[in-house]
Amino acid sequence: MLMRAIALLCLTLYLTLWGISPAQADGVDQAKIDSSTQLWETSAHALNEVNCSSCHQAEQTQAFVAQPGVESCQTCHEQAVDTFLLGKHGIRLLEGATPLTPAMARLPMQAAAQDWQMTCNSCHDVHAVNTVQAATDSCLGCHNDTHSLNYQNSRHAELFAADSNLPRPSAAAVSCATCHLPRHEMGTGDNVFTQVNHNNTYTLLPRDRMVKDVCMNCHGAEYSYNSIFDDDLVEANFDAPPTLALESFDLVRAFDARRTDQGTE
Amino acid sequence: MASRSQAAKWQAVFNLRTAIAVMCIVLMGWFAAAFAFDNKEVFLPGETSVGHYLFEASCSSCHEGFKPVSNENCSRCHQAELAEDKHGAAKFRDPRWAGELAKIEALTCTTCHNEHVHMFGRGVHLQPDLCMACHEGIIQGDLQSHDGFAADGCWTAGCHNYHDHRSISTGFLIENLDQPPMLPVQKLPDRTVLTQVETAPAPDLSREFLGGGA
Repeated sequence: MLMRAIALLCLTLYLTLWGISPAQADGVDQAKIDSSTQLWETSAHALNEVNCSSCHQAEQTQAFVAQPGVESCQTCHEQAVDTFLLGKHGIRLLEGATPLTPAMARLPMQAAAQDWQMTCNSCHDVHAVNTVQAATDSCLGCHNDTHSLNYQNSRHAELFAADSNLPRPSAAAVSCATCHLPRHEMGTGDNVFTQVNHNNTYTLLPRDRMVKDVCMNCHGAEYSYNSIFDDDLVEANFDAPPTLALESFDLVRAFDARRTDQGTE
Repeated sequence: MASRSQAAKWQAVFNLRTAIAVMCIVLMGWFAAAFAFDNKEVFLPGETSVGHYLFEASCSSCHEGFKPVSNENCSRCHQAELAEDKHGAAKFRDPRWAGELAKIEALTCTTCHNEHVHMFGRGVHLQPDLCMACHEGIIQGDLQSHDGFAADGCWTAGCHNYHDHRSISTGFLIENLDQPPMLPVQKLPDRTVLTQVETAPAPDLSREFLGGGA
């Protein structure tokens, strides 16, 4: 009797702890191949002679790869993938777990997106390789919190809508990615090039990181700090100028005045 | 009467023993099951921080067995955050500051950061008045600027950043005081992608897509 009870208890526990993640299959037909080929033909990939086999064929074994993974992209886009793997979007892959799905998130996510798996092509159209879609539409496909949903009401969204010509957003368009996957310049002199930091967690906290790396490309320091430390304004996705006036600036102003006085005495 | 009460006592001991044995078996079964089915969440001592919870079942990401979490464990992912560390090894190599390490082990991540414990909505457990170990003068008078401030406000108020001080230091703020809301030149880094050919080459795979793949 005791043994049976224990066995039953263990079995129940085993079953409760057991989790199953369904694998997803993808049907491919000729129409799909044609549309993908068409998108690819005008892409930066095609015009740099990155062909089907570059991604869909294993380099060593020549075996066909139906759905190339993160590793495939990494062979060329090393910095993008390396940073992606350090943010919340990619960290599960770095740690050898299954890809992130919106169902795992603590933030509100779209109901329809709950089981989507997060890899490079979750956000990027890998055949067209334009990054306009990846800059906002891809984010809003999953993210369903107030800040994300209010983006459309912001001046930033207006700038993006006015200037988001393919294949990639210009330096004047402000998208989700502008702040959360920011571009930054690398190199010096003639060898200056722009990279995109795909670590989506990096600019979130502390908030002064966002101010320096992102806001101050366009906005003054006080305006930036007064905006980003106002939680309501963050929720509203910066739909109005800040009303907060951080005391820090008064302190700094007083300090500077004292210093100047001492200098002139 | 006496024999009946003795029997009852003996019965009670037996029941206690059985209960303990059953409990042990259940616990062992539970832990074994957690390991066997890779559900290590049951070992978590508290809610995991917002930055780490997505891989909280991967104990070995941060823990090497039962050894304390080392700086190397943290810097595996957080190198970028520490690239401009104001309180890094370089600072304390300077003889002017080397002695400060006796007051607080500032070069060990876990002196300040602790996972599975929560304060201030941040993924770190931080004694809020930690800065006072070295910087007490700032609120106690010898540096007038912060007279009367609370000992726990340095970073909880959002004013100071222990590791990367570049965009919040007094010097930086003075330099950028009284700027207009919109800077005269508003420009994000532009991104150009060069192309090598005018037209796309012929696609080099086609039938393979219909035949399925490895």
